[in-house]
Amino acid sequence: MGGPQVGQAVRVRVSIVDDHPVVIEGIRAWLRADSRIEVLRADAAISAGTSHADVAIVDLHLNGRLIVDEIAELARDNQRVIVFSQFTEQELVLAALDAGAYAFVAKSEGPDHLLQTVLAVAQDRPYVAPIAAGILAGDRSPGAPVLSERERTALLWWFQSMSKASVAARMGISPHTVDMYIRRARVKYARAGREAPTKADMLLRAIEDGLLDSDAADS
Amino acid sequence: MAERLRTGDAVAARYATAMRVAIVAILAVWHLVYDVLIIARGWHAYESRAAAVIAWLLLTAVQAAGSILLLRGGSRPGVRVRHLLGVVALAAGVLAVLSYPTGQAVSDISWAWNTAGWCGVLLLLHRPLPELCALLAVNAAITVVAVAADGALDRVALSRLMVITCATAGVQLLFAIVGHRLDIVARQAAASALDQAAARSRAASDEAVHTSRRQRYAQIRDRVLPLLRGLADGSADPDDPAVRRDAGIEAGRLRRLFAETDDTPDPLLHELRSCADLAERRGVEVTFLVCGSTPDVPRPARRRLTEVVLRLLVSTASRARLTVLADDTGVTVGVTADAPIDVLNDLPAGLRVPVALVKETNEIWVDLRWDRLYASG
Repeated sequence: MGGPQVGQAVRVRVSIVDDHPVVIEGIRAWLRADSRIEVLRADAAISAGTSHADVAIVDLHLNGRLIVDEIAELARDNQRVIVFSQFTEQELVLAALDAGAYAFVAKSEGPDHLLQTVLAVAQDRPYVAPIAAGILAGDRSPGAPVLSERERTALLWWFQSMSKASVAARMGISPHTVDMYIRRARVKYARAGREAPTKADMLLRAIEDGLLDSDAADS
Repeated sequence: MAERLRTGDAVAARYATAMRVAIVAILAVWHLVYDVLIIARGWHAYESRAAAVIAWLLLTAVQAAGSILLLRGGSRPGVRVRHLLGVVALAAGVLAVLSYPTGQAVSDISWAWNTAGWCGVLLLLHRPLPELCALLAVNAAITVVAVAADGALDRVALSRLMVITCATAGVQLLFAIVGHRLDIVARQAAASALDQAAARSRAASDEAVHTSRRQRYAQIRDRVLPLLRGLADGSADPDDPAVRRDAGIEAGRLRRLFAETDDTPDPLLHELRSCADLAERRGVEVTFLVCGSTPDVPRPARRRLTEVVLRLLVSTASRARLTVLADDTGVTVGVTADAPIDVLNDLPAGLRVPVALVKETNEIWVDLRWDRLYASG
């Protein structure tokens, strides 16, 4: 629970890892829009300094190869990682989340989703951008956690419409409840697969938020 | 082609089986009835009754083993066993000749020559013919040598031997040759029958393709032609939004028709992409996202899915989001677009689509589902 208190004087310190300078410049410009966020450093490869930030925004494909294993190492060091990639293949994204990444945002998804993801992740809260929602909704692999029908519907419709208000209207529930279904589905993934300190933090925060009860987190 | 040959083999195999059963039956009756009668009638004349009985038993054993080999294994290997049994049959022939009294090698009490020959046919029916020729030649030679040893090989005896050889070995050889020929002819007949069947089914499928082409052409002609005629004679106004929409939908249908006939690994995505393409050409910003791998969706179901997407995208003003979520259970296609809602008013019967609105942007939002489990085509 070492996350900074967003909204107060403490700022969220971000490190960026991407092998394309233009992407780094783009992310800097996007994050500049929010005064609560401060870019600590930007590198073309993962270095020791990457894990000195509150949140690391990391490309999944660095210098010609996929870095799922490096993401797992960062997660072992309790570094919150947002995977920011143009690759949206289901298996790849699920592998990155299983390695302990907090969130996946596709490069095509724009600044709002990235900003919201950074702010949520800094507080150990999951944020599921629409494409990641589609990937979770369509995951029927044997090891996948069991999602409720409503959780799956919320994920699917969020993926389709990109509007939680519209999903809420269609499901006949409040946007807050839609958000809860989506976050709960995401947190179920933190309980599955390999263990990582980042997943444990996310689960603890979910229990604090009343998203899960502690029995469910243990099971 | 390989399939055709295998089926041809199956037909030939039926003829070959009939042939085998025939020869086993002929030899069984011959040996168990005729030979026994001959031996019983001349019982007292044999020089060694034991040799006669042993020869008969040996030939019975060879015949039984040969029959089993033939009926069970057909032409399958066991070449050495067959040759060994052939030698045993010839040895039994020699033993039988030794049991005859002097001068009786070809007489009312001689029996083994013919039986040993038929054993050869039994054993070597599916072997190359020269093997059987060799066995029959040795078999005839045994009797010739026996007659010569008796000192009775004069011109009369020689011509008599030749007649008997023709009557026995000739018939046996003929039987084997007919068997070989029958095998080949049956194979050819079966192959040509299958050729004809294949040609008939090709013609039928050509006819079906032609009919479906005519149907598709008729659909286009009935809808596109009036539209073009209207534009040509001025009765349809290109500035009229309804005319523009109809023209857009028909252009989309034509493109979908072209996409349907393309050979692609994922026809649904290919057809959806062609719908998206059409909108992009008009300057619409289309986001196309696919999660998971699409199962095989049958063409009628694909048409239902793409029909709605097509209608929305051809009427989209500026931006659309097309999402495909696929897993083992089926496919969900979602569209959000800033299109007028009335494009979905006159959907074909049976095509019901839930329509919602995206609150922030006031876009139309539809999602369509094809379920593998409840698929009706």
